[in-house]
Amino acid sequence: MAMIEFHDVSKRYPGGSAALSEVSLSIASGELVFLAGPSGAGKSTLLKMIAAIERPSAGRVLVNGQEVSSIKQRGLPYLRRKLGLILQEQRLLMDRNVLANVMLPLVVAGIAGEDADKRARAALGKVGLLSKAASMPLSLSGGEQQRVAIARAIVHRPQVIIADEPTANLDRDSANLVLSTLKAFHGAGVTCVISTHDEYFLDRADRVIYLSQGRVTEAWRRNPVEEDVA
Amino acid sequence: MKVWLRQHVFALKGAIPRPGRGFGSFAFNVLVVAIALALPFAGLTVLENMRPVSAQLAVEPEISVFLSMDTPRARASALAPEIQRVLQASQTGGTIEFIPRENALSALKERSAIADAVTTLGNNPLPDSYVLKLAGFENAQDARRVDDIAVQIKALPGVEYVQVDSAWVQRLSALLNVLRMALLFLAATLGVVVVAVVFNTIRLQVMTQREEIEVSRLVGATDGFICRPFYYSGALLGLAAGALALGVVALGMRPLNAAIAEFARLYASEFQLLPLGWLLTTALLLLSSFLGLCGAMLSVRRHLGRAS
Repeated sequence: MAMIEFHDVSKRYPGGSAALSEVSLSIASGELVFLAGPSGAGKSTLLKMIAAIERPSAGRVLVNGQEVSSIKQRGLPYLRRKLGLILQEQRLLMDRNVLANVMLPLVVAGIAGEDADKRARAALGKVGLLSKAASMPLSLSGGEQQRVAIARAIVHRPQVIIADEPTANLDRDSANLVLSTLKAFHGAGVTCVISTHDEYFLDRADRVIYLSQGRVTEAWRRNPVEEDVA
Repeated sequence: MKVWLRQHVFALKGAIPRPGRGFGSFAFNVLVVAIALALPFAGLTVLENMRPVSAQLAVEPEISVFLSMDTPRARASALAPEIQRVLQASQTGGTIEFIPRENALSALKERSAIADAVTTLGNNPLPDSYVLKLAGFENAQDARRVDDIAVQIKALPGVEYVQVDSAWVQRLSALLNVLRMALLFLAATLGVVVVAVVFNTIRLQVMTQREEIEVSRLVGATDGFICRPFYYSGALLGLAAGALALGVVALGMRPLNAAIAEFARLYASEFQLLPLGWLLTTALLLLSSFLGLCGAMLSVRRHLGRAS
């Protein structure tokens, strides 16, 4: 069953060139997909469209059967609560401690108190940062901050994890740790879509989709489930 | 319901300023808004204290009927039923009290600060008089009927002078109406000032919390979730400023009452400014809070779109 579908999706920014051109692809539920390609290939735009941060100029984007390309503003929060977003810049709240940062998706969904605290600590435990719960983000290394962002992305048990260059700006060891963490969640059945320009990590994917100049140029899979790249 | 309540509690907690988290600027803004609110609150306090005085006098007008000095006591006494007939003819109830000139002099000596001067006169300069307390008047406008009664009483033999107390009551009532309108205008103007101050305060909060707003949206926060802390912040600011303004007015009443007491003593009155009742106090606090909420809502609607 397809979790994410792109049908002839194009994105053109006002006055700029095309970020995506007629992209069609399908990502199955529980799949671990890497988006690869050089900077400016359209990887981030594609990921942002899954979370409806960007809207396509043409075409349709579906997440778990729900069309998100034309979703109304009011419906956005409920879509995003099904997703776990990890962005290139971690976007942690620097005036709150690590635990409060991780709890944020629970709080916005109306889960608070002991339950939220327990779940946030569990998520921190999964990324190996339980001991840093009371620390402020600025006191953490880049890799640790990225793992906090992962904990925040998985704390509300999303259906899909979207990670935009999660290993950028990290040394190889930290990057390995981050990807191992994501791989562990994928192992638990979560669909993961990860963009990277570093080919070193691609062998961990079920499937790799290459993008260049806004177009899908190549795709390969380690364990083919079904051929779905147009 | 539980989730809804929990989110409101979360928003309220987020809106309460704490030392090191915007407390200084919150306190400063409370001070600015309180200054703007204190003036209309003080005006309202004065008006509220004067309202019962003017209302009571307006609906219970008095007529003082002074007789000629040469009117014999027998004739003076005989005037009572004639005055009663005039009142009945104009369908007005009330009481008629005869005040003999001796009694009037005694009262003057007791109550006035010029007792010594009166004593040195030797003769009693005061005439016999009647004091009519009229009833059945609904409002100050109705009290104009008193003028007709006064004209009829003036025509009675032995009557030298008729003083209608409702005249100054009407003037006071008109003055209070003018003051009320001025206060309303002032309150409306300063209300706009309050809204503007809160608007700007919330605008700055939205700008400084832009990152938090964006991250919250990315993890699934609704507009309600994002806006609520700002709404609470505006309402709290208004509430705190309202409470401070009421406190300032209450404190200011002490020295003012001391001056008023001295002035009122000259008129044998014990008039004092009293604090506003709990109902009006609650209403003013709610109004202050509402103004803060309005400022916050306007600001959030204007600036949240830009922040996203």
